[in-house]
Amino acid sequence: MRTPHTPPHATAPPRNSASVFSVRDLWKVFGPQADRVPADKQLGALGATELRERTGCTAAVRDVSFDVRKGEVFVVMGLSGSGKSTLVRCLTRLIEPTSGTITIDGEDVLSMDTGRLRELRRHRAAMVFQHFGLLPHRTVLDNVAYGLEIQGVGRGERRERAAEFVTKVGLDGMEHRRPSQLSGGQQQRVGLARALAVDPEVLLFDEPFSALDPLIRRDMQEEVVRLHREEGRTMVFITHDLSEALKLGDRIALMCDGRIVQLGTPEEIVGAPADDYVRDFVRDVPREQVLTVRSVMRPALADEYEAGPALDPSATVHEAIEAVARTGANARIVEDGRCLGVVDHVGLLGVVAGIPATTGKAVA
Amino acid sequence: MTATVTPAPPRRASAPDTAPGALRAFVCHRGRLIGAGTVAALVLGSLLLGGGSWPASLAVDLSGPLDRTSDWIIDNRDGHPLFLHFLGHVSNAVVISVRAVYLVLLALGWAGVTAAAGLVAWRVAGVRPALTSVAAFAACGLLGMWVPTLQTLALMLVAVAASVLLGGLLGLAAGLSDRMNRILRPVLDTMQVLPAFAYLLPVVLVFGIGVPAAVLATVVYAAPPMARLTALGLRGADAGVMEAVASLGATGGQRLLTARLPLARKELLLGVNQSIMMALGMAVIASVIGAGGLGDRVYQALAAVDVGAALAAGVPIVLLAVVLDRVTTAAGERVGAAPAHRAGLRWAVALGVTAVVAVAGRLSGRLSWPDGWTADIAPPINGAVDWMTAHLYSGVPLVGGTADWAARFTAWVLDPLRGGLQWLPWWVVLLTVGALALLIGSWRTAATAVLAMAAIGVLGVWDPALDTLSQVMAAVAVTLVLGVALGVAAARSTRLGRVLRPVLDVFQTMPQFVYLIPVVALFGVGRAPAVAAAVVYALPAVVRITAQGVRAVDPAALESSRSLGATGRQQLFQVQLPLARPALLLAVNQGVVLVLAVVVIGGLVGGGALGYDAVLGLAQGDLATGLVAGAAIVCLGLTLDRVTQPTERRDLAGKGA
Repeated sequence: MRTPHTPPHATAPPRNSASVFSVRDLWKVFGPQADRVPADKQLGALGATELRERTGCTAAVRDVSFDVRKGEVFVVMGLSGSGKSTLVRCLTRLIEPTSGTITIDGEDVLSMDTGRLRELRRHRAAMVFQHFGLLPHRTVLDNVAYGLEIQGVGRGERRERAAEFVTKVGLDGMEHRRPSQLSGGQQQRVGLARALAVDPEVLLFDEPFSALDPLIRRDMQEEVVRLHREEGRTMVFITHDLSEALKLGDRIALMCDGRIVQLGTPEEIVGAPADDYVRDFVRDVPREQVLTVRSVMRPALADEYEAGPALDPSATVHEAIEAVARTGANARIVEDGRCLGVVDHVGLLGVVAGIPATTGKAVA
Repeated sequence: MTATVTPAPPRRASAPDTAPGALRAFVCHRGRLIGAGTVAALVLGSLLLGGGSWPASLAVDLSGPLDRTSDWIIDNRDGHPLFLHFLGHVSNAVVISVRAVYLVLLALGWAGVTAAAGLVAWRVAGVRPALTSVAAFAACGLLGMWVPTLQTLALMLVAVAASVLLGGLLGLAAGLSDRMNRILRPVLDTMQVLPAFAYLLPVVLVFGIGVPAAVLATVVYAAPPMARLTALGLRGADAGVMEAVASLGATGGQRLLTARLPLARKELLLGVNQSIMMALGMAVIASVIGAGGLGDRVYQALAAVDVGAALAAGVPIVLLAVVLDRVTTAAGERVGAAPAHRAGLRWAVALGVTAVVAVAGRLSGRLSWPDGWTADIAPPINGAVDWMTAHLYSGVPLVGGTADWAARFTAWVLDPLRGGLQWLPWWVVLLTVGALALLIGSWRTAATAVLAMAAIGVLGVWDPALDTLSQVMAAVAVTLVLGVALGVAAARSTRLGRVLRPVLDVFQTMPQFVYLIPVVALFGVGRAPAVAAAVVYALPAVVRITAQGVRAVDPAALESSRSLGATGRQQLFQVQLPLARPALLLAVNQGVVLVLAVVVIGGLVGGGALGYDAVLGLAQGDLATGLVAGAAIVCLGLTLDRVTQPTERRDLAGKGA
């Protein structure tokens, strides 16, 4: 794995916060005698087709390491077959990893016994699935209460708590419907409420909105953003949709063939692709909407400290363009009343045109 | 996106990847290989083995040991610990529970039973099935068959309860454990293709003729579908739901009780439905071994060729079958719908009304169906049959009579077929069986088929078995011609399909035994009526499977052929039928299995052959003859199933079940 580009200016979560999940050297290999693949450096380095021919095995997750920090939305993104769904299932051992270590709050997940693991799944990490996984014979309310039911919470109490979460996800009045009577978006709201009802430390999302229509998908994404803003719960979000990843993620791990090819903030992924694969991936992203002015500013000249519109360092290039176009002057980047630098039309147009910035790095 | 979760199977993947041409070449090659092998074997065989029936030197006479076993069992039934401590208890438990259920039904009185049936149907299935069941029970009473109906019902209820329990447990084991599934599945598959008649003799050997034997035969016959469907349902649980349940930290028990079992409710109810229908069919056939009730009335009447009396007992059987099927099917269709408002209250109402009606019936002193309220339909029916005998049997201008048809069918089709089969050297028969099974199935099915056929010879019933086989072949040929034609027509014309569907529904629910009544009325006794009954019995399944297969043909393929300007005939022969090939093969297989079941029962109406041996063995207490015939029936069933068993059959059957 490439070293993650440690962000010098990580956005949402405070940098010193502890990690919830900590994953090191994780492998998941399917097939006969899967153990030998991670153990053998030579086999581990083979491509997917070659590995299958040589051993009959498929490596879904290859030597992956990352940390999920408390309170952040950690997005794992990749095309289908890249191993991202397997990866998220390894976190709670819905799929048993082949080798490596996973810890949650410092506790080793792989050495947990059945009881402890059950405890982890019941209280600490709840998952939302692409195809919802609702029980068709139960009402919405009983589906939401299901997690509490298997924890042994009494009927009255669990229904009361479930009703609260049904309201929270906006399904008021549908408590007594069956999943088959709901639309896809509504079903996924039930899935979300079911996960929230057990009050988990981490929410795991496995492509939760891929099966939904674009408009409903946007609604649901906003719902997640809202929930995260309100509760600050740690989230691990799997998706194959780049715009979804950029919209929701505090940090994004981009996977290809079981490996993480780049891990960083949306801005880093778009602004500094680690290799051609990532570059190809982010080619069509409207970069001016992702990159911040901090990455394209240049040092201010003596006469520029006072003139022109002032912008926050976290403002997007898109906003800067608007400011520059409106005023006709270069924009100043101001933090705590101090001018960090300026952006001019050359730098801004460079971003839009996709020409590597020559100015930014020196300042940071 | 779940591609990462399922690892690609390493070896199997490569086969379809290679050009389909190679596959076809292999199949053709295989066909030629089998042909060449057969010719070589024919030449070799005619040189070395000669012709004729199964050689006596290769047959084993089992009547001695079987007689001794049977005698030993009869002698020890009251003394041996096995009987005292195990089988005796089983037998007693069966007798007591059947008796108890019967007494409860009697105590409810006719009004109570009818009300209970109606209200239960109302609660589980809805208003229309409820009305149907009330009408059906009233009709049973009107026909003067109240007491036999209750007897059959009591026996069936006990047998169904036992087979649902037994089948459910077996299905649970097979559904949860892969190893149990591997062990049970071939056994259940095989049990499913054996004719009902074959189950009677072994239980009689152990328990003697009577209610215990009848109930146990019914349980053994009715449990496999429950077990199969339970296992199917449990195995088919939505993986996504099961994963979600696991992700919430459910224990194994919670996963089973709150997710896996509820998810399989449709299959479980279908299993109960199938169990009930099989149990009814068997409870009627088991009259031959002392089940009493409606089946016994039919059996006695058929023995006396009294069609009117047979019909009077047969109609209640059909009504019971229709009611039970409708109610359980409707209950199955309700699964998944939102529960009714205040379900508990409605159940209480149903219970209360039943109690009130039962008590009212008791107080009015009319527990049994009032004698004055019956209509004896036997004389008018017999009158009609006499008229038919006089006017339709023979000598009708131009078309001839039904008896003429039967005679002609026997003389022109059955006799030459039987003669031909029996003339064929025995090894040629084995060779044909093997080659056919190889062509359609795999070497494994071929080996089973040949071994089973050889076993018939070893048992010393080669000639009667070929007699049965000739009837089966004739019936299957007629069934397939009619069935496929009707099926294709029903698939291509929505109107015909809609007309045919309720007819098929009723026909498919009727127990095999009932089919003997009308054919005896029309054709008298003999082999031709047995064949006719078999055709009528097997036809609905063949029509249905064919129609489904043709209808399931990929619409895109059909549309593209239409866009190229194919005529209706071209579409049928070049697209629909070739693509429906798996369904057609399944139809053949089902047709053969169903036909055999009835041809064997045809022994009761003069079909002769193996069925007659089995009946004779039962009737005269000559168990050795009966058991040998029964074993031969099993072997013939296995042979016929394996010969017609396409390799993909399992998948199709799994979906269809």
